[in-house]
Amino acid sequence: MKLSIIGAGTMGSVYANNVAKMPGVQPAGVCDLDESRARMAADVCGTNAYTSVDDMLAAEQPDVVCVCLPTYLHKEYVLKLAAQGIHVICEKPIALNAEDAKEMQEACERSGVRLFIGHVVRFFPNYVDALKRAHSGHIGKAGMMHLKRYGSYPQGFDGWYADMGKSGGVVMDLMIHDIDFACAAMGKPESVFAKISRAEGMDYAQVTLKFSEGRMASLTAFWGYPGPFTTQFEIVGTQGVVRFDSNAIQSLDIKVKASEAEAGEAVQVPSSPANHDPYYYEVKHFIECIQSGEQAIVTADDARLAVAVALAAEQSNKLGQPVEVSI
Amino acid sequence: MSKLKIGMISFAHMHAASYLQALLSRADVEVLGIADENEERVRPFTEPNGIAYYSDYNELLKQPIDAVVICSENVRHAELTKHAAQAKKHVLCEKPLGLSEKEMLGMIEVCRAEGVQLMTAYPCRYIPAVRSAKEAVDRGDIGEIIAMKGTNRGTMPSGWFIDRGQSGGGAVLDHTVHVLDIMHYITGSEVEEVYAHSETLFHDVDIDDAGLLHVKFRNGIFAVHDPSWSRPSSFPTWGDVTLEIIGTKGVIHVDSFAQKNDVYSNNATKAEWSYWGDDMDQGLIDGFVDALLQGQPVPITGEDGFLSARVAFAAYESAKMGKTVELKSVN
Repeated sequence: MKLSIIGAGTMGSVYANNVAKMPGVQPAGVCDLDESRARMAADVCGTNAYTSVDDMLAAEQPDVVCVCLPTYLHKEYVLKLAAQGIHVICEKPIALNAEDAKEMQEACERSGVRLFIGHVVRFFPNYVDALKRAHSGHIGKAGMMHLKRYGSYPQGFDGWYADMGKSGGVVMDLMIHDIDFACAAMGKPESVFAKISRAEGMDYAQVTLKFSEGRMASLTAFWGYPGPFTTQFEIVGTQGVVRFDSNAIQSLDIKVKASEAEAGEAVQVPSSPANHDPYYYEVKHFIECIQSGEQAIVTADDARLAVAVALAAEQSNKLGQPVEVSI
Repeated sequence: MSKLKIGMISFAHMHAASYLQALLSRADVEVLGIADENEERVRPFTEPNGIAYYSDYNELLKQPIDAVVICSENVRHAELTKHAAQAKKHVLCEKPLGLSEKEMLGMIEVCRAEGVQLMTAYPCRYIPAVRSAKEAVDRGDIGEIIAMKGTNRGTMPSGWFIDRGQSGGGAVLDHTVHVLDIMHYITGSEVEEVYAHSETLFHDVDIDDAGLLHVKFRNGIFAVHDPSWSRPSSFPTWGDVTLEIIGTKGVIHVDSFAQKNDVYSNNATKAEWSYWGDDMDQGLIDGFVDALLQGQPVPITGEDGFLSARVAFAAYESAKMGKTVELKSVN
């Protein structure tokens, strides 16, 4: 299976790293407006670098393309790929609104190609385990969730994350992982209530999702957090709790004395190493779905729902009242 | 040295046992009596300590005591406070102060009119991490506060706590007031708007055991809080009090009972957390006793009790109506 990558920023580089190691996948070009970035990512997976998508598609004839572009460009490129009969793996969020998402889905259906959205949290082993625990009945019936996702303010090409019209902000871009996960655990939310604070270098949101039978989830997300990238969750059921804190799973901790370190400062690097990162499992799963025709564990419909919930949160913040999710 | 003479009314809320310990640890306090209609309940406290027992609290109020500590069922707080105040006794009342805004304002008024002090039992203000967080905020360490997230998640209580007629409410009332008081204490502002869910999700009971509250303070700070009785019986401790404070220049995270040892014993059916941090109940009692002995205002007032309990009542109203509820300023 020949796989190309469009966009060699943070996500494109991660994909390049992973497809380089993936059996049965043949890297078939990396494209970026910035030739040196395209080259760097292409070298990682032993393929050619391009600065023109059309040139790459013509030369490489890929079976599937990973769209790792800023969100506002997803629709344009997914439509282009669908028109050429190429399967698409697109980074999350699928689009900046549910209508665009629907249009992308319909275009792919018409062309008979698959559309997968990279909601990678579904492939993180800690979230997979939690969902398994919640669905197995081990913690009884799940009634309540807490989900948290904090990181530094993302830079990105040209500062596109800071432009609401391009990224959708912290709810659409970051919290959407947890929105999707909450919906995977509890279904479609009935209502959304949100409070969001935005300033330069800071975007912080508190969102409550209300599901059927009174079940609920409390989500917080933060761009501009001064600490290390942090994720936490808990799922509470009638018989128990399953919870996780990314700051409490450091299976490896390397410390270097100040006198030995190059910069002259002591180095501490706690980490949680694994055989593969979750993007590996995500892309592998999508490729297998193309080959088998099976439905993916996270679908484009799921991705569209998450976008609708994120927009409902923005609307609730504006109105100061709960908002129903319309999709 | 003149001793502060104290009577205790009701051990229905077992915080009374801890408050008694804290009172007995002070050389400048004398506990003259314990009133409770249930003698069996208080015998383990009266007899070993040589404290007089009263079946009728009115008899206790006739004794030469300076103050009372009230740990009755919530529904009786107002009546007991009123009678104690009319007997010219200062009052330390267990939370929630009362079961409606009107009732709480009445309690505050009767104490004012009788010239006695009314303190609400919010021991969480005496958690060292909470105090240090307030100091850090006051120093400007994290700039201006933007938002907060709190939790006071506990295990399921039993008895009168889950009888609405005695308690006035479930988890949303029981576990909103502490953290909302900490939020008032730290922000120096009061809640003006509440949006909440109140549900029964985890237990087969006829009262709310789960909730989520969004609140907005008059100074623009917003916050979310989880007051649920959502810790399973298998959880290693009774619950938590956490608070995250998001500021323009930094973030503070308080995990009040993180000072613990992990205990794994074949004599227990579950892993346990053994808390070894400072005793907040001692801090609360010391605050009450010291203020009365020194003739100073009590550190946590009836108004403080009112301000956070009214948020819980507004939460129930919001949950019923499905929209935000405004709180009128009391000033």
